[in-house]
Amino acid sequence: MLWYIIKRELFEQISSLRFALAMLLTVFLMIVNALGHIGASKVQQAEYRQNVSKALAGIERDSRQFYNLVIRGPGELYKKPSPLSFCAHGSENNLPESVLGWSAGWGWNSVIDGKNYPFSGIWRLKYTSFPPIRAADIFPIFLRIDWTLIIANILSFLALIFTFDAVAGEMAQGTLRLTLSNSVARRTLLTGKFLSNLFSLGAVFMSGVLVNLLLLYLSGNLQLNTQEWYRIGGIFVVGLIYISVFIALGLFISTLLNTPSTSLVILLLVWVIWVILVPSMLGTIMSGLNLPSIRKGPNPIYFTRSGLYERYKARGLEEGAPTRQRPPTPATMLWAEFLNEELQEGKRLNKMFLRAQINQIQIAREVNRISPTAVTQYAIESLAGTGFQRYLNFLKNAERYADEFNDFLISADRADPDSLHIPFVREGMSDKPVPFESIPKFQDRVRLEDAFKGAILDVMLLLLFFMVLFAAAHVSFQRKEI
Amino acid sequence: MIWTLIRHELLINLMTFRFLVTLISYLLLVLAGSIVLTDNYERRLASYNAAVQEHKERAARAETYSDFTPFLDRAPNPLSLFNQGLDKRAGNSIQIRLGEVPFLWADVYRSAGFNNPFRHLLADIDLVSIFQILSSLLALMFAYDAIAGDRENGTLRLILVNPVGRGLIVLSKYLGAMLCLTLPLLMSFLLALLLQFQSNAIHYTPDEFLRVGAIFLTTVIYTSTFYLLGLLISSMIHRTATSLIVSMFIWVGLTLLYPNVSLFLVNRFMDTSERMEQAHQHIEQFAERFYREEEKLQNPFEHLGRGWHSSYTHRSKTITSIPVESELDVPAVKAYFETLTALQMNTAKAVWRVREQAFSETYIRKSRTARNVLRFSPTGLYQLSTAAWAGTDIARMEDFFNAGRQYRGTLLDYFYDQKAFDSRQWFASDKGAVRWVDVPRFSYHPPSVSGDASNRALPNLFLLFLLNPVLFMTAFAVFCRQEI
Repeated sequence: MLWYIIKRELFEQISSLRFALAMLLTVFLMIVNALGHIGASKVQQAEYRQNVSKALAGIERDSRQFYNLVIRGPGELYKKPSPLSFCAHGSENNLPESVLGWSAGWGWNSVIDGKNYPFSGIWRLKYTSFPPIRAADIFPIFLRIDWTLIIANILSFLALIFTFDAVAGEMAQGTLRLTLSNSVARRTLLTGKFLSNLFSLGAVFMSGVLVNLLLLYLSGNLQLNTQEWYRIGGIFVVGLIYISVFIALGLFISTLLNTPSTSLVILLLVWVIWVILVPSMLGTIMSGLNLPSIRKGPNPIYFTRSGLYERYKARGLEEGAPTRQRPPTPATMLWAEFLNEELQEGKRLNKMFLRAQINQIQIAREVNRISPTAVTQYAIESLAGTGFQRYLNFLKNAERYADEFNDFLISADRADPDSLHIPFVREGMSDKPVPFESIPKFQDRVRLEDAFKGAILDVMLLLLFFMVLFAAAHVSFQRKEI
Repeated sequence: MIWTLIRHELLINLMTFRFLVTLISYLLLVLAGSIVLTDNYERRLASYNAAVQEHKERAARAETYSDFTPFLDRAPNPLSLFNQGLDKRAGNSIQIRLGEVPFLWADVYRSAGFNNPFRHLLADIDLVSIFQILSSLLALMFAYDAIAGDRENGTLRLILVNPVGRGLIVLSKYLGAMLCLTLPLLMSFLLALLLQFQSNAIHYTPDEFLRVGAIFLTTVIYTSTFYLLGLLISSMIHRTATSLIVSMFIWVGLTLLYPNVSLFLVNRFMDTSERMEQAHQHIEQFAERFYREEEKLQNPFEHLGRGWHSSYTHRSKTITSIPVESELDVPAVKAYFETLTALQMNTAKAVWRVREQAFSETYIRKSRTARNVLRFSPTGLYQLSTAAWAGTDIARMEDFFNAGRQYRGTLLDYFYDQKAFDSRQWFASDKGAVRWVDVPRFSYHPPSVSGDASNRALPNLFLLFLLNPVLFMTAFAVFCRQEI
């Protein structure tokens, strides 16, 4: 029976005007998306490779003198661009594309015994390399045509257009009564309507996706590995669940009301608020976009004020310069301690500052999850490997690498018998060149598990939305007088 | 007769469910939007005030002429609550330096206000974008069954039995519905103003009130355009359900798709990087010439005092005490700085010439193309026109930077008059710091509403308005030729 209903509904759907319009719209947008991304990915990858090789050249230069590596670290670490940016743009242009590993940059001078002793804090990760104001900043704001936009805005809209009269329309025509006079359970009828709508919208979505991928493939812009195909599959599934949410919503409102046009009016208002306005307003309200504490990252003035240098000066920092003498003099030890504490303090402050910034965005994102659109967007971004979640993963990778690099510095120093092995003071460490090949290189790995792990919560939430709405539709249909 | 018809339409519309929904959704969204935006504006104003204070103190601390690099701050525009335009995005601080003519795209001019650089990840919305989405949707919802519905009910035939012209029917439907649509709009504008006045930060001048009024008028015309579009669809299509579906597709197309798709394509296919790269290389050459020339010069006091320099744009020196034995070198140092400053100013002039040319061929042309493309949709016209009324569009930003450039000229003239470039106080404050008593002050007066209106707001508004009679006449013509 269910299949019979589905077949009947499906046939009716496909021969309707709205199906044709929906197909046209989706395919058109997918073509626009493909056109916009032809060549874009190659340019991105080339830029990334160029940046990386520039950074590696910097390391190679520094590796000729060991202490330069200690001070400057690995230089700029770049985020690997995702080949799936056509699925989700993820406001990548508003996210930094790199993290800077560099010295504290406060070329300080101590006067010891009437002579200048220059030093600077050793390298650490600095997070604030934000893209400068670009030409795009005077370009009018627009939404990029990616899969996320097509799924989140267009397919949800189409789902409502498909379902607004599913029950209300038949009710108005009187065919509902006729159908129910047969031995059909109401739940079967509703499920049939749901499935037929899902199939027809799924067909629309599928054809859009196929056209898009085909265009990208023919233009030679689609070189994906198995992992990335899994991701695309994941995105497709998320899209289907999201569409189901809106089909369920449409059925629910359609069973509540008796006139189809009122039903559509209500649905569209809900859509405008839930899909368009809430994700762009609510989070901003809740997060209150200002940072209370530190305005700038740690700088020399901060250290003078916080008294780190003063404290060490009181302990006799300026009484002797570190030397290569064996066994190490107290001055060498004190300087090493000072530089270590400066490093720890600087790292801690950098991180605290970053965490405060991230927290605000996290709060906004949590609140935005009231809207299934935001949920879907986050899930798709996570799967496509773009956006905020991916940036956080990148930071994690960079931090892991930073530890690895420091371990390498220590072990390279250990390998030199002439060194005093007192990190990280210049005189206490090796002064020989290090082979470039032995230095660990930063690799921004994007792992499939991370992507799915990032998306799983959002998918569950989306399923919850769906189940609540679908149950509500069933309940209200059961109780309806026909 | 027409009054009876209008009253009839008005009453029917007012009593409907959709009117109630319209009113509530307008008021709720404007309420939420105004609260966020007002709060946002207060923060920006506070940070602007703090920046002004800090920059004032900083300027007063300068002891020598070479160390005087005042910052000019752009105040946030309260009308950005209506249409934020570029107000939050464009740079809001200009540093006046000898070696650089200020320009809109310099990296250093970060917009302050929010310290969280991730803020752009969250979408920002203003009142105009709420109206843009909502009022067009509601206008279509009022219009889709205006004629098709009456025809389906059979009431249209009944009305036409009376001696009423068809033109009168269309006109009365239009006027009745527009009254119904304007009422919630007016209420939400008043609510927005009321909420804004709760804040101590916002004070509107009469000029700004006029601007708000103009934005309201533009919104009404925008709504009317969509209503007439709906009326046209309604008169062409016989079934209300089909008319509604077609209306909705057109709505999505006009408000959501056309602006985004066209801007997406313009942004993708107008490549500016090559031209900019060329300009950068050109500028690099000037910089290198500057460094070469600078190397030829000798500064005997190079290691004296404190100084700060950044690429070719800035060299400052403050020497608080000159040892007696070096006193003989002072004329040489004066000559050094005189040559150096002339070199800096010449480089700045040359670089600016290249930059201005490059910008007008890239960024400005791209943004102009984008704006021209937007003119093909009512939504785009609405955005452009309200941005001009609010004074948050690119022309206003340029105006501010022009004022900054003018100020730089005035300051340099002042330095000439003071004979600052070859004075001892250019680099040393040992004979007393410079007193900044009569140094020219910067103040920016934005153009009045008539200035903004005549060249940017009105042309767009006129285009938007022109759509109305065209749509009305078409709808009327279609309606007249139909059999009922």
